[in-house]
Amino acid sequence: MSKKPWDKGISRKMYTEEQIAQRVKELGAQITEDFKDKEEDLIIVCLLKGSIMFMADICREIKLPIKMDFMSVSSYGDDFESSREVKIVKDLDEKIMGKHVIVVEDIIDSGLTLKKVLKLLGSRSPASVSLCTLLNKEVRREADVEVQYIGFDIEDEFVLGYGLDYKQEYRNIPYVAVMGSLD
Amino acid sequence: MKKHKIEVMIPREDIKRKVRELGELIEKDIKDSDNEVICVGLLKGSAIFMADLVQRIDHPVKMDFMSVSSYGSSMETSGVVKIIKDVDEDVEGKDIVIIEDIIDSGLTLNYVKKFLLSKGAASVKICTLLDKPYRRKAEVFVDYVGFEIPNEFVVGYGIDYAEFYRNLPYIGKVTLLD
Repeated sequence: MSKKPWDKGISRKMYTEEQIAQRVKELGAQITEDFKDKEEDLIIVCLLKGSIMFMADICREIKLPIKMDFMSVSSYGDDFESSREVKIVKDLDEKIMGKHVIVVEDIIDSGLTLKKVLKLLGSRSPASVSLCTLLNKEVRREADVEVQYIGFDIEDEFVLGYGLDYKQEYRNIPYVAVMGSLD
Repeated sequence: MKKHKIEVMIPREDIKRKVRELGELIEKDIKDSDNEVICVGLLKGSAIFMADLVQRIDHPVKMDFMSVSSYGSSMETSGVVKIIKDVDEDVEGKDIVIIEDIIDSGLTLNYVKKFLLSKGAASVKICTLLDKPYRRKAEVFVDYVGFEIPNEFVVGYGIDYAEFYRNLPYIGKVTLLD
């Protein structure tokens, strides 16, 4: 397996560590403001694995008592993405009935899998479900999902780092980069 | 939750510095290996440490997660844990680094380490942010330790009290009040 130096797979930095940290701080402050007067518990849900960095950072910027939970899903079935089924590999540990839920994502493109996850969570009667994504690729959207908190709107480029992978690699680079040619 | 107060035990800046040191140590140890490296975080406690640590390893590593729980009180004696979520990756022939928030009895880790070795991992190392070595019940070698701490009730940086406080950016010491 590849021992590529980072620069081989990366064409350019898109957002630096400092830019990400600044934006995460702003989003955390916004969420804190929006939920500070709510009485119900607030549960932040991370969809593994891509969102882990963003999850870890944004939770620390939410200055409220929150619970953290993790979900792992995979899609399967035929090749048409829109008709693929979502399989829960790991469900939430927490009960969300009557609680506020914020789903944290690294990137939203088609939104198809996410839409199904939201429908599932919605069926458990939470007080509310909001979406927070670091990166938003609106141009690729196929499902109708409402995103309350967006870090950065980006063009249709393949991005890596800060949790985002190419074949499970590059997740651990501390910034968001545009993928280069791997040839 | 009982009435309690929380004081800062390890400030955010100290954690950040330590995480950087640990990342450099791990990087140094893995960079000459021909095997692929997978960092395995144990949910939920180690999520924040895992996220911060792998970004300080300037070398290709994959990330994976396991979720385990004890079988009630019997785990104390048997050391058997229930695997709620296994690793997604094939670990055969890979070098594994288990990332943990805190180690006390070591029973869970001992089990997870043996489990990964039984799946054919080439090596399994353990990295923990906090260590309570005098609480050990299982003999488990810890390769990377952030801070050795006294026998206090701690929260923050991933560690919870009744599921809360995981999002504190520092390690806090909890004192229960009457």
